[in-house]
Formats: sequence, C-alpha cells, structure tokens
Amino acid sequence: MDAKTQNSEFVEIHPRNSYLSAQELIAHRHTEFEPASGGLKRTQNEGTASELEELKRAQEYLRAQLSVPRIERLGGRALAIWNEEQQVAEVIRKDGKFENFGYSEQGKLYLEYYEAMFLLEVGRLQLEYYGSVVSIEQAYVLLLGELESERYTNYLVYSALCRSGYIVVKHVPPQEIPQEITSADCIWALLKEKVADQPVPDHIRNTPFYHIAEKRMEEMKERITSQKIEDPDIVIEPIDLKFGQRKRMAEESPIEEPVSKKEKISIPGRSLVDQLKSEFSYAKFEEIFEKFELVQLKSQDYTKEELETPSALKIIFDLHLHNKGFRKSDPKTPNFNVIILPSQAAFPTHDEISKIKQQNLRTAPLLVISVSESKQIQAFLYYIG
Amino acid sequence: MQFKFACKRKRCSFKNVNFTPLPSCQDGERYKGRYTGLSVEIVDPEQAKSLYDNGCFGKGSKSRGGPASGDEDETLLLGMEESCFLAHYLNVLDITNSAGCFMDFHMFVEVAKEQNDTFVENLASYVYLKSKNWVIKSGIKFGGDFLIYKQSPRLYHASFLVIVQKPGDSDHYQSKNLKGVQRVAETSDKDVLLLTVQQPKNISCPRNLQEATVTETIVRRFNYLTFVQSKQQ
Repeated sequence: MDAKTQNSEFVEIHPRNSYLSAQELIAHRHTEFEPASGGLKRTQNEGTASELEELKRAQEYLRAQLSVPRIERLGGRALAIWNEEQQVAEVIRKDGKFENFGYSEQGKLYLEYYEAMFLLEVGRLQLEYYGSVVSIEQAYVLLLGELESERYTNYLVYSALCRSGYIVVKHVPPQEIPQEITSADCIWALLKEKVADQPVPDHIRNTPFYHIAEKRMEEMKERITSQKIEDPDIVIEPIDLKFGQRKRMAEESPIEEPVSKKEKISIPGRSLVDQLKSEFSYAKFEEIFEKFELVQLKSQDYTKEELETPSALKIIFDLHLHNKGFRKSDPKTPNFNVIILPSQAAFPTHDEISKIKQQNLRTAPLLVISVSESKQIQAFLYYIG
Repeated sequence: MQFKFACKRKRCSFKNVNFTPLPSCQDGERYKGRYTGLSVEIVDPEQAKSLYDNGCFGKGSKSRGGPASGDEDETLLLGMEESCFLAHYLNVLDITNSAGCFMDFHMFVEVAKEQNDTFVENLASYVYLKSKNWVIKSGIKFGGDFLIYKQSPRLYHASFLVIVQKPGDSDHYQSKNLKGVQRVAETSDKDVLLLTVQQPKNISCPRNLQEATVTETIVRRFNYLTFVQSKQQ
C-alpha cells in the first residue's frame, strides 16, 4: 500500500510482504459465490427505479465475484511459448501427463490454439509471449483472435467435449494407403461387378491376380451351372478326387457370403423405414404392396469431379473414447467425426451429408454440433437412407 | 451406429383379429366417396367402417379416430392423399365431385394441387411409405406432414413424424425450425423423417410416380454426455 504524505516530497511505500497463512490460502483457493436467487419474473417497465437498482445490484455482485484474489498453485504447470507466426504454442517444459494433447514435430511438442486455451483455463499451462506471462483474458484475444472467427466456436466445442470425457483430436483425413492388391480384392471387385453392376477399378484390373481370379470364377460358374451334367461323373470317379472337390468348394463359398452381409449394412441406398416389411401382414399382402412400389429411393452416385470439389462442410475434430486404447501416434478409426455449425447456419441437407460420407470412405458416424447464439452446444446425429 | 426406432405399444385391450392392412372390394362393390372441397367423404356407414378397419383410412367426422360416435350421420373423411391412393393406386374407390360427376386421376390431382401446391410430393411420399406397410395419418398436430404408425394408431404410437420437402427447400434445415420440430417429436418418442421428393416432370397417370425419387434423412438429437458416460462403465 502506498500513501502520500502531503507535506513531504517523498512518496512512502509500504511494501506488502506478509504471506497468507495456510488456512487463508486454502480458503482463497475455493472461494464460492452463491448466485443471487432469481425469484419471480420481473414485471416492472424498462427504466424504472426498481429495475435500475436491481441492475446495479447484479453488477456489484459480478464485480465482487471477479475481484476476489485468486490463488493458484504455480507448480504443476507446463510452460509453453506462443508462436504467433505459426499460431501454435511450443511446449518448453512438460509437467504431468500430456498424452492426448498436442503433436510432436522434430522432437518438439506443439499445442494447437484450442488445446493451449483449454489447458490454460484448467490451470495446467503457463503461456508466455515475448517473455511475459499471458493472462487468461489476454489469451482469449491472443489465441482466438480479436475478430470474430470460427476459432471461438471451435474452442467452445473442444472444451465442452473434452470436459465431458472424450479425447478430441484434430480431424485426420483417412489416408489412402496404396494398399497391395490381393487376390481377395480382385474377387470382391468381380463380385461387385456381377452383382451390383459396379465397374472394376483400373488399379485392380491391372494386377496379375485379376485374370487368375476371373478365370477361376468362370470355372466356378461353369461348375455350378453345369452341375447336373457333372453329377454322374463324380459318382464314377474315385473317392479321393471327390473329397478334393468338396474341400475346394468349402474354401470358395465363404467368400461369396460376406458380400451379401456387407451389402446389407453398408450400402447407402437402403431405406431406413423398411422394417415393417418383415411383418406378417406384409407377407400376406406382398403382391398388392409390390404393385404400388413405384417411388424409388434416390441413389446417389457422384462423379469423380464432384467428389473432388470440397464440400461446404468440414470435419473439424475426431472423437475417441478413453477406454478404447487411443494412442496419439497411431489413432484408430475415431468414434465420431465432428462438424461444427455456427449459430444461424442451416443444417446440412441429405445431399451434403451423403457427399461428405462418400468423400471420406471408412469414416465414423458424423456428429453435427450446432452452437447457438447463446453459446450453448447441441449435438445431432444424422442417419441417411 | 445402427439405426433403430421406437415402436411403442399403446396400453389398450383393443384387438381386431381379422384386420387386413389394405381394404379390398367385397362382392365387386367399390367404395363410393364424394369430394367436398376439403376431403373425400364416405357416407355409407358400412363402407366407412370397412375402410377404417382395414388399414385405418380416414377419420370419423365426429370422432378423434375412426367413426365411433355412433351417430347415424357420422361420415368418414379421407384426406386428399389417402383418397387418391385408394382410388387410383389400390383401385377400390370411386370419387365423385359435388355435381355427381366421376373424377379421374388427372382432374383429382389438379383439384388437389389447387388446395396444396406440394400435393404431388405428398402423394409420392404417401405411396412410398404405404408400400412399406405403414399406416399414414395427418401430422398436423405435431407440425409435420404425416405421422406414420405400425399396424394401427389404436395399437401403437406413431414412430415417425414425416416432413415432405421439395429438393430446393431449405426451410426445415433452418436451425431453429429443425430443432423445434425435433423437440416436439422427441417429447412424444418419435423421430423426424425428412423426405425430399423429386417429383416427376408431368403427372397425368398414376404410373408417372415411377419417375419420382425420394431421399430419407433422420436427424436425431444426441446426448454426447450420457453417451460417453455409458461407455466408461
């Protein structure tokens, strides 16, 4: 506390060098403020004396809440430096577990702006910028930007999902690993061509396995279609050869089965409201029902160009669950992909969703999170037929 | 995640053992309906009962569901889509206008389009859902186009609130509209089914609907908090 004595030119300074006692420290760490109870809905007009008084009281309460001296433990925090240019925080000193935060590059650990902001808010990080410690208030401007941007909503969603117990990481587009084409792939492609009229992709057609598989399939077909004629032959032939044939049949047949199974689950052109077709009453009247099965479900096929044009929707985060053994270095398929909708934005339509699904083959369910004007977040799941 | 929907059984002892999902003409006698300007009215009480018992078509003019008031002058009112379906797809109903003339498909569609400019889309959705064995009722009390039921509204609660759209429509994708209708449906254990219908270029005969296509979208609120908690145990 400094005090000015009127008569002298000197300013006397009384440095405050007493320390808080242990009890005081504990008490200050957990200062709790009871919010003033709301009571009934107000019915006074705007600008009346009672309204002004109530507003004043509310502001005083807010000020009191904000001006409480806060005490936090300095130890147990990681230290990071904000790199304005690259918009990342470089971690200088680690403290505690950092398993699900940040990414490493050339032996250094970096935090994205939302990660840094989150760690800062939960008191696990000390952020420095040009040698000085950044306060939380400053960090909001520094990390999320002065101008309104998607960064704020991204951070909001990130922190809400993190706090509720998900592992939230930046979306990694599923990489197209140039997989080695096995003969199984060739069989799949051939089956798809025969059953679903899908052309065989060139990269499969060009492999040496393709012709072998094609030839074998033809042979199989031949054998199946001309079964009756061959039957007597088999009887005459020695027993061991019959065994051999039977064995080969068993080997081939499971390959065909998964096709139908897979199609049942993954083909997007399936209706979501077909379940009642399994009812007894449907079976009884099936002929009549089929007569007016006129309107068809639209099947969506995108050309390559259409798929390459980026859609308006962007997957921002991937969600993983804690107990699924997530590893930063080797993330498996996430549990959800997150799309963030700013307030006022319209929800994605069927076409947009189906396009983004086709663009990201092998992805997890899409979680559309809408951030309302009052900064509340709400999640939606899409099912499309 | 696999899609599952709710099919909640109502608590009632009503059992109609020989109900059929679709009515058929008995003894070659076709149902007779009169177009009133708003709906198609079935005057004959026996025909009305038969239509309601077999597929739950229509609504009693003096009752909440089927004709049940017992009054002699109670009629069965069929919605425009249902009557069009019964008359021209199932071929069991003859519709006459107020002057007593028979209304053919073209005439009926024209009249219905005047009433409701999305009639063709609605009709396509109706036929689409009907071919999947749903009982379809008006969805106006929940703010949608249709409510669809398993078997009968007497036995089950509706499973879906259906909203029909044209391809360019964005009204229902507006955040507040979608959330609104979603909440209404959710409180009564339904899902919102958005059907976007591409209507055929011209519709002069019932078969023209073959050119119509439909896309289905179901948007469901997802409680991310309880989901993660349930997975942690």
